[in-house]
Amino acid sequence: MKHNALRSFFICGLILIGMALFPLFTNNFIIRFGTDILMFAIMASAWNIIGGYTGYASFGNVVFFGIGAYTTAVLMEKAGFGFALAYASSGLLAAVFAILVGLPVLRLRGHYFAIATLGVAEAMKALVQNLEITEGNSGIYLPMLDMSVRGQYYFFFYMMLATLVACLLTTYILLNAKFGYSLIAIREDEDAANSVGINTTYAKTMAFSLSALFTGFAGSIYAYQQAFIKPEPAFTVHTTVKMIVMAVFGGMGKLFGPLLGAFSIEVISEILSDHFLVAHALFFGTIVILAIVFTPKGIMDIITERKLNVSYFLENIRKHRV
Amino acid sequence: MLAQIVINGILKGGLYALMAMGMSLIWGVMDIINIAHGSFIMLGAFTTYWLFTLLGIDPFVSLIFSISILFVIGYGIQKYLINLIIRASAFITLILAFGIEIFINNAALVAWTADVRKVKVAYGASNFSLGDWVTIPTVRLLAFMLVIVIGTIFFFILNRTDLGRSIRSTAQDLDAAQLVGVDVARTYALTFGLGVGAAGAAGTLWSILFPISPMMGGILTLKSFVVVIIGGLGSMLGPILGGLTLGVAEAMGSTWFGSTYENLISFTILVLVLILRPKGILGGAD
Repeated sequence: MKHNALRSFFICGLILIGMALFPLFTNNFIIRFGTDILMFAIMASAWNIIGGYTGYASFGNVVFFGIGAYTTAVLMEKAGFGFALAYASSGLLAAVFAILVGLPVLRLRGHYFAIATLGVAEAMKALVQNLEITEGNSGIYLPMLDMSVRGQYYFFFYMMLATLVACLLTTYILLNAKFGYSLIAIREDEDAANSVGINTTYAKTMAFSLSALFTGFAGSIYAYQQAFIKPEPAFTVHTTVKMIVMAVFGGMGKLFGPLLGAFSIEVISEILSDHFLVAHALFFGTIVILAIVFTPKGIMDIITERKLNVSYFLENIRKHRV
Repeated sequence: MLAQIVINGILKGGLYALMAMGMSLIWGVMDIINIAHGSFIMLGAFTTYWLFTLLGIDPFVSLIFSISILFVIGYGIQKYLINLIIRASAFITLILAFGIEIFINNAALVAWTADVRKVKVAYGASNFSLGDWVTIPTVRLLAFMLVIVIGTIFFFILNRTDLGRSIRSTAQDLDAAQLVGVDVARTYALTFGLGVGAAGAAGTLWSILFPISPMMGGILTLKSFVVVIIGGLGSMLGPILGGLTLGVAEAMGSTWFGSTYENLISFTILVLVLILRPKGILGGAD
């Protein structure tokens, strides 16, 4: 067991060094692509905390991304904050918002929670479209990063990487603490968890808030990178869909599942849109359908189980058809 | 002024009710949140558009085609795709519906491009006045009456036929229904077909009143959610009540705050109803 743990740490370290060194040897386009993958990896991993481990399928996590992006934009453009302070405030504001919204909304379960979070995200988008401080639908500009072009690519890549590592590390530490066990207990049976003395309200609200914290950080970096944001891409429901599909595709409730999912989905979409200018989203939809029917447990499960045969892929159908 | 706003709201609310009826049926019976619902509405709208543009068939007549075509599509999708994993967690079927939505929308985009189109019927702008200060658009009134007819047919199917009894028993307890001899797979397929058929009807009426495009489905799915949640699951009255509430609230809100606030109002209502009355205004009807 200990040997195994040591080996996992070694592998993680190697992958991390690989990811950290990789921008040094490639061109700007690839670095930017890597930055996008990291951004979605952060969001999918953050979604995993509330959706994968706690079992509350949030369909509105993009609201934290949008709040992060807009906080950074407003603070830097209107209040003259530096990026470091704006970045920290973005995550914190998203986290506080998650607590305020989570307290009433996390009382709902299943579908109703999913739809309520979706509603919160759409309502927030409509609010941002109408507020004066966010400059409504015309969008808001941010100050440019004062660096060489190459330096900018490095900066955003390493900001995303650092945020992702912080997110995964936090998740890992919490999972091995009592808090992590509370979350998994809530996922398996919330009433039972309550009856054995777990403060479920506290645990799930904290999980939602943590999920919001890192999603907000990602939004903050995104806004600074774009230098211009609008309500529609910042709050679009498609971002939520993407992070969920990535988490599911990679493996929900597994630490590295969402990272793997983000990487594979982004690479697949990129290849598809390279080859099929118009129809690539059509293929993407097909992949989502096939993946959910044949491998609902995700790629991570295939890798760890090592039982690749026809019956593995038919298991889901055998168990769940009528 | 107020009467005019309320009437506009009620007329649009009828359409909302029809949109939500199919979604509510599918959700209530099979516990599927059909994210692709708006895409089926879009397919219904385009069926009408093409029948009108290519063959000159009147939109109200094409209703019969859009309902039957969408019924067949829905039946097939449920029978050969969703039924495969219907007993998995609701979250899994939800993602599957997402996949279907992406597929349909983009297939439509490839086939028909992103152009916004309009069914231009001659009687489109006709209206009549009631008293001195209320104007009623004829097409909207017709559409509203059709919603009532379709809703009544739905009610009849669910409550007075063998199919309806199988559907309701399957909704209550899948295994028990199977034990007493209900063909569950077929019942599910028929239920999905009916729900999607209703979406097709809503699409036809939508295409007469508003411009259509392959990407129109997303916001319609969201609106249907709001209506289903306001009304609550489990009865035909729910979507009707929810639809009229949303229609009137939107009409009033956009008159007083401006039309950009329409979505803010809908989704605020959605969240508030969920928090305060999770089972809908009608309460524990399920």
